Amino acid sequence: MRELFCLPAIALGAMMSITGVPILGGVAAPAAAATLSGGFDVGPGGFQGNFNPLAATAGLTWLSIYFEPLISYDEKLEKIVGVLASSYEVSPDQLTYTFKLADAKWHDGKAFTAKDAKFTIELAANAKTGSIFAARLKVLSAIETPDDHALVVKLSAPSASLLDTLTKIMVLPEHALAAVPADQLAKSTWWSTSPIGTGPFKFVKYVQDQYVELTANPDYRGGKPVLDRLINRYFANPASAISALRAGEIQFTYIDSNDVPTFKDDKSFRVIEGASFVVNYLGFNQDSPLWKDLRVRQAVMYALNRDAIIKSLYGGAAKPANCAYVAGQLVPEGIEAYPYDPAKAKQLLDEAGWNKINGDKPVTLLTYYNTPLATNVLAAVQAMLAQVGINVVPRAVDAPTYNGLVLKPDADASQFQLVYAGLQNGPDPSNINTGLNEKQIPPAGANVVRARMPDLTKALDAAIAETDVAKRHQRYQDVCKVMNKDLPWATMWVANRYGVVSSKVKDFIWTPAPGGGPYVAHPEAWKLSE
Amino acid sequence: MLRSCLKRLAIGIGMLIALSMLVFVLLRLTPGDPIDAYIDPSTPLSPAAMADLRDRLGLDQPLPVQYIGWLQQALHGNFGYSIKRLDQPVLTLVLSRIGPTLLLMGSALIMAIVAGIAAGVIGAVRRNSVTDVSLSVLALAGISSPAFLSALLGLYIFAVRLGWLPSGGMLTPGEDFSLGDLLRHLILPSALLAVAQAALIMRYMRASLLEVLNQDYVRTARAKGVVEFWVIVKHALRNALLPVVTVIGSTIGLAIGGAIFIESVFNWPGMGLLLVDAVTTRDYPVIMGAALVIGACVIVVNLLTDIAYAVVDPRIKMG
Repeated sequence: MRELFCLPAIALGAMMSITGVPILGGVAAPAAAATLSGGFDVGPGGFQGNFNPLAATAGLTWLSIYFEPLISYDEKLEKIVGVLASSYEVSPDQLTYTFKLADAKWHDGKAFTAKDAKFTIELAANAKTGSIFAARLKVLSAIETPDDHALVVKLSAPSASLLDTLTKIMVLPEHALAAVPADQLAKSTWWSTSPIGTGPFKFVKYVQDQYVELTANPDYRGGKPVLDRLINRYFANPASAISALRAGEIQFTYIDSNDVPTFKDDKSFRVIEGASFVVNYLGFNQDSPLWKDLRVRQAVMYALNRDAIIKSLYGGAAKPANCAYVAGQLVPEGIEAYPYDPAKAKQLLDEAGWNKINGDKPVTLLTYYNTPLATNVLAAVQAMLAQVGINVVPRAVDAPTYNGLVLKPDADASQFQLVYAGLQNGPDPSNINTGLNEKQIPPAGANVVRARMPDLTKALDAAIAETDVAKRHQRYQDVCKVMNKDLPWATMWVANRYGVVSSKVKDFIWTPAPGGGPYVAHPEAWKLSE
Repeated sequence: MLRSCLKRLAIGIGMLIALSMLVFVLLRLTPGDPIDAYIDPSTPLSPAAMADLRDRLGLDQPLPVQYIGWLQQALHGNFGYSIKRLDQPVLTLVLSRIGPTLLLMGSALIMAIVAGIAAGVIGAVRRNSVTDVSLSVLALAGISSPAFLSALLGLYIFAVRLGWLPSGGMLTPGEDFSLGDLLRHLILPSALLAVAQAALIMRYMRASLLEVLNQDYVRTARAKGVVEFWVIVKHALRNALLPVVTVIGSTIGLAIGGAIFIESVFNWPGMGLLLVDAVTTRDYPVIMGAALVIGACVIVVNLLTDIAYAVVDPRIKMG
């Protein structure tokens, strides 16, 4: 019987021998002074596992550390500045763009020339490469390279969003990729094994689903980077990224706004706040008979206490939106602010005969937002609308399910009488055209609420066609005014998004840009202090 | 025995084809396709670009055509390319994940067997003692705590609060491979994965040993004056292990389910992580490939369990 007592000891011993116990002693040494690790692809702007910038619907924050575009946004996403192009000019007729190129070298030492830029734009315009820019670049008519440092891009028609598109196209080396047939390019292993760019850091390796490692490019034209290495850790679960940050294994990650309070007062971290450039809205499905009467749509606006939601759920970090825009230059004076007024909402519903239209029957509300924050927002919206007699039933699905339901040409309106969604409203304001123009109803575009509003379509068409930069803001103000009056959506707010960085990291530039930007982040200047 | 093994294998292949068909149909019934998953609804892609992408991936063809096309290629060993990571052939991707998953599940299984059997034996021998009751309560807690909860709790306690172990990954990024580093990353996820299995094994072991200890031949052994240790180890344990072997086989399925959570929480680059990622991105070829490999594993493990059963219990004949 006594021998049996040693069984637990044997078991423990066996376990230790399997797992090699010394383990407990050796804890992860802090990252070497010159290595910065982060979850650069965590959150909505990230795209873990994608290395091909031609296919990058997101993840540009990271890709633009070793690749570079010709032009990019500044860190506030306010204006477009040169990167590989030291300057650019647009002809008065908006048909010719002339870029003067910087003196740069590829990571393998070869010189970067205008031919690389031409090669890249041609790849991006070729749908066979799997490029997501092909449709946007249909306006190209010719690309010329008068000399190694000049690039001339000619268009068949003016395009207000060409520069915005060019910020997302990372310039690729012709000498490394010219031999790959266009239709094989996306399948090439070059992207994840040996890519070369012109950026401040060079690609070292990708370890499957674990991390990507970059090393400083000593020949960078902006000077040798301060850091020796950058590591982009992958996280399948945002909570794990936060654990790694707290454990000191990484120094930076994106965080959801409901995690902000736990970092705000902690001196070892700095919370970075930035505009999301995504306007959130409740979209009225115009194929559903519920929303035909403008008074019903107005009632929804008056029934929502947006200020209360922003204050209590977003901690004040969101701007109420009364059209698709909140940026001062795009919002005209004197538009209706739709203050919270449930009595007025009820009165409008009575006048419209809501009892006959729908009464208290459930109204389906579809969303692809699955965060705890979104769940709370929808619970509040549900309660506020119930107060005036609109009985909404939220249903949260994943993004592909949402897209699959709402983008179908013959979509079933009863599945999503309302949507709670977001649409990018900047830095290029024309982004919202695809969600509201009548010509963009699926399958043509992403007008998922099937808005058929002639005034709105006219205003959007006019804004997009405006080639005079000075008048463009005025045109978008007109769009804002029509949206505010006709209410294709009950616009809610534009919220901020957040990143957290260890306070040891200095001169770190990051902003929660849609799709990860890109923007000029000067990674060569990032440093770590002890 | 060989014949019956071959027969079982043939049935297994039939089951795999049926599985592939089932997964294929279920996938296509799921709303949203890989292109829908590719775009963030708040930054929509132009529909022309989406149609181009669908066309190139062959997603616009009728379902039977797509399935037969896939099956033909698959029978030749070509499982296509991942849709999310176009530069990665599915087979390479899936095969590269088997090692890490086997390592995780294997070490968890060994821990679970050792701890579960030891605890079960102690519980049975010292029945109704304080030790037995505490072990049973622990086992109940182990069985009832879902993997995602125990994983997050373990991560918080051991990696964040105590800082004893790394919070995730398989190797320290940017460092050269070392066995110690691998083990340090392995211990937490595999121990957490082992908890539920160990608890289950313990409960079966305890019950089964208690039953055997009341048998006549055990009484006879004791009456002959055999030392208690040998009564248990030699006479009782071997017979009591029979049902436990079956349970261990069936916990493999449980372990795969648990591994999916553990791998996502700890970013362990195994099949579970791959599969979760593939499902959220509707990466059809990868889901098919991964499902087939996991299916094949379950079939093979069940076969091995049956063989082990036949070895442990001479009364059982295969076939």
